Amino acid sequence: MKLRELILHESARHRASGRRAALLGGVVGLASVLLLGLSGWFLAAAALAGAAGSAVALGFNYMLPSAAIRLLAIARTGARYGEAVFSHDAGLRIGARLRPALFAATAAAPVRQALAVARGSMLRVVMDDVARIETALVRRSAQWNAAGAAVSGVAMVALAGVPAAAVLVALLAATILANEALARRTRRSEARRDEALAELRLAADELLAAAPELRCYRHADAGQFLERPGRALALAGREAARARALAVMIQAGCMTLAAIAVLALSRGGPAPTAALATLAAAMATDGLAPLLRQIAERFSTRDSANRLDQLLAHEQQDMLPVVIGRPTLDLLGVHLKPGDRLQLEGQSGVGKTTLIEHLIGLRSPVAGRAKVAGVDVVFLRSEQLRSTFAWQPQDAAALSGTVRDNLLIARAGACDRALWQALHDAALDELVRALPHGLDSWIGEDGARLSGGERRRLAVARALVADAPWLLLDEPIEGLDPATAQLLLERLERRLCRTGQGLVVVSHRPLSCITRCRSVVVPQRCAAIEITHQPQPAACSLQPK
Amino acid sequence: MTTLSLDQRRGRQRLLRDLTARDPRHMIARGLLIGDTVAGISFALGLAGGVAAIATGGRVWTWLLLALAAGIARGSLATLSQRIGSDLAADAKIALRTRVTAAAINQSVGGARTSGELACTIVDEVEAVDGHIARFAPIRTAATLSPLIVLAAVALASPVSALILIGTLAPLIAALILAGGAAAERSRQQFGALARLSGLFSDRLRALPLLLAYRATDRERVRLGQAADEVAVRTMGVLRVAFLSAGALEFFAALSVALVAVYAGFNVLGLLPFTPPEQLDLFRAFLVLALAPEFYLPFRRLASAYHDKQAAETAADRLLALEADAEPVRPLEVHSAPALAFDQVSLRHGSADADAVSALSFHVEPGETVALLGASGSGKSSLLGALVGTVPVREGTIRIDGRALESGLAVAGSAAWAGQAPLLVPGTIADNIALACPCSPREAVADAAEAAGLAELLRCRAQGLDSLLDGRGSGLSGGERRRIGLARALLSEAPLLLLDEPTAHLDAEAEAGLTTAILHACRGRTAIIATHSETLAAQADRIIRLERRYEAA
Repeated sequence: MKLRELILHESARHRASGRRAALLGGVVGLASVLLLGLSGWFLAAAALAGAAGSAVALGFNYMLPSAAIRLLAIARTGARYGEAVFSHDAGLRIGARLRPALFAATAAAPVRQALAVARGSMLRVVMDDVARIETALVRRSAQWNAAGAAVSGVAMVALAGVPAAAVLVALLAATILANEALARRTRRSEARRDEALAELRLAADELLAAAPELRCYRHADAGQFLERPGRALALAGREAARARALAVMIQAGCMTLAAIAVLALSRGGPAPTAALATLAAAMATDGLAPLLRQIAERFSTRDSANRLDQLLAHEQQDMLPVVIGRPTLDLLGVHLKPGDRLQLEGQSGVGKTTLIEHLIGLRSPVAGRAKVAGVDVVFLRSEQLRSTFAWQPQDAAALSGTVRDNLLIARAGACDRALWQALHDAALDELVRALPHGLDSWIGEDGARLSGGERRRLAVARALVADAPWLLLDEPIEGLDPATAQLLLERLERRLCRTGQGLVVVSHRPLSCITRCRSVVVPQRCAAIEITHQPQPAACSLQPK
Repeated sequence: MTTLSLDQRRGRQRLLRDLTARDPRHMIARGLLIGDTVAGISFALGLAGGVAAIATGGRVWTWLLLALAAGIARGSLATLSQRIGSDLAADAKIALRTRVTAAAINQSVGGARTSGELACTIVDEVEAVDGHIARFAPIRTAATLSPLIVLAAVALASPVSALILIGTLAPLIAALILAGGAAAERSRQQFGALARLSGLFSDRLRALPLLLAYRATDRERVRLGQAADEVAVRTMGVLRVAFLSAGALEFFAALSVALVAVYAGFNVLGLLPFTPPEQLDLFRAFLVLALAPEFYLPFRRLASAYHDKQAAETAADRLLALEADAEPVRPLEVHSAPALAFDQVSLRHGSADADAVSALSFHVEPGETVALLGASGSGKSSLLGALVGTVPVREGTIRIDGRALESGLAVAGSAAWAGQAPLLVPGTIADNIALACPCSPREAVADAAEAAGLAELLRCRAQGLDSLLDGRGSGLSGGERRRIGLARALLSEAPLLLLDEPTAHLDAEAEAGLTTAILHACRGRTAIIATHSETLAAQADRIIRLERRYEAA
């Protein structure tokens, strides 16, 4: 679904709020212009009547205009409040549907693209884009605001004569057109700014990776290496800032010209009308401000929308039932029966983790490395692979949420007993029991409230909760102290004997308690194969058709 | 959201203030905004004079010219103020980034922040202070002075109208003081709620590999949807109240116009129920009417820039936290190839449960080249990190020439470093080599390049040492990059050389070639090579094998 369709569809659901916001926005514009115009007319008329003597003054109908002025003041306040509430209500509700839709679309994207969003600097870009769209959504009533001001302004100025009204229309149009032109001209510099920002992010990543080297050579002024990309960003940003400043100038200029021209053109008529028309003309140009802001942001909003559209283009496929049972596994030429155990060894960098990620369908498959149930993984759908394996990632990633949230990822609806059993077998039960809310304790963003070892055990426990025939554990005891590692391995062994699950484990450390565990050294060429295959967009073949 | 301590609040205010305190332009930007108010008053004067002249048949054109000049001045002043503000912000961000980068480099490895978070702080959190400097700060100053100037102008024309404006301002201020604390708190909460929703979304995207692997993306989408709806509803609840304070501002702004209009109208009619202390004419009446919106304009500008303030404060908090966590090290000066002694040394990273190296003892003679050989995870890199101060020593002592490397001390500055991914900066190859000591003579740079085995690369490039590299080092092979790192180490006269996996991910031929250069670099210094390559280790004077830490007992 395209972003535009999504927004249209959701706007329809929140049509009432959207309409109210638009209506009240119009009222705000209208009331602002009327309030000042009418006040001007009232003053001038009252002054003339006062000058003509007390008889005329007494005959002057002051009640109606002064009541109208007070009414308008209240109407403007109320309408502005209502506009803000309804436009945010509609905008936020529509925006709330955007994130889940984007998440689903990203998850449905080819795995390489999906993980590029999850792991790379693209995440930041997506977040910025969503924020930009959300801002645009809550400001959608701005045009009605401007329309209300313009229509009422022109109508009031028309009282001073058609030429005055024509001049105002021309100046309003000129303001809008000038801002349009400015926005178009700034578009390229906004794009340059985005590029400069991406460049600076890369430079910062590289600088931080070289922290020890910098410490040795000149760590005190390491920041100077970011000065060049920082200045490039500032330079790109300056153009956009100058355009914003120029927009201020244009608006102020048009407001001045409108007020003066209307006053000059109405100088032949009665003073009250001139006062009314002059103030109305000034307020009408002033009332364009929200629209002008929208125009200034139009292109960056559109660019964001286009980027999000590319993500939203991926649609979720219907999941076919996955029946594989308890398959055999062939890995690097080793045949494993259901329930067998295998340790993958090899130097770091040879591609052990890569191999694991092939099995779980997080990388484009490579032929000839692994078979499930006798079938090369190249011919299996990622769904089938993912239901065959329960995976503990090397980085022990966690969701920000509770312990329970983190475990239920593996099997929705698993009962508490199963969760506690898994925590026990991962040697984490005592810790979780000691937490203030047990399973429902919050563990922070990416498990930040847990130590490295606790997070790792939580990731193992998660893999144990899943009912998959094979466990894929990537460095399950890395960073654990010897006693805890021993305990975890003992319990894992007992669990494997009980469930009959198979085990494929990557570990630099000997797995003392795991019996019947064969081992295979991952050859150097694994990494090489991965690199040569990387540029091919073969990921699509994994998607069920 | 927890209420901030006074110290925290002061700290971030100081940070934001100090960014521009020494730059005279911040006063200019503020001054121009105040000038904008004066021009606004002149504009109102011009219009009032024009309308009065129409009523009395006077000369309209003079007044129109005044209004025109004031209008042009007004636009120019506001525009100039914005331009200066954004230039000021650009410079302040560069200075701040330099400062924060130093703090980021001084974080210990495996500490509270991942390098991705650090990069985000250096780039995005620093960008977030922009609006505060460019817009909010000048507007805030203007908001305290400009209304007073407008008030003075009104008082000259009509003291009673000035009293009316004060009369509407007083309840507004009272309302802001009474409700303002609550409204500010609400608005902070709303900012927090949106940030949390945003955080949830980015968290679920980050965890996508996990969710894909467990086929849990559908469930998470539903949950994300629920959370998003919930936040939207809760945010609205907060906003309804937050908008009230904006509403109060609006109400009093509108009320002041209405009251001034009605008062002035009745005054010129002579129909006030009391005897006014002044008799207005059309000119003065119209002037105070045109000035009434001007009185509230600075407050409205301030309200619209409030988001900038919040974004900057959130960023400032994180920047301050980063600086507070930085652990700058003092250099331990070493002048000739030192002896190193590790005595029962245990190292542990920030959040780890177990030691990266435990109770390790060994000794390195002055000028000796020692290879630390071990599988990954055996703590080789951590040992090097302890010497330059990125990894804290938990127990035991490291001695350099008999001097203990106490907490806060490091040999960084007396050591040269060559790793798997040397830092490459945009500039020539010579610039990159001279990064270690920028004032080195050209011949020394050329010698270092030669000794590091870069001769072949330099021959292939037309400009030799002056060939330009981009920041990515595009077009260089892995071996060539490392040779640049080595040349840098060769150029630096540091008596201690630390090499972190210098030949990792190279094929056998490239490794053999690089090994010669490495050994050359080690000559005349104390050198430690952390590696898992037996071939490279075999070339060292001595091999220290790091046992795998966890022989499960």
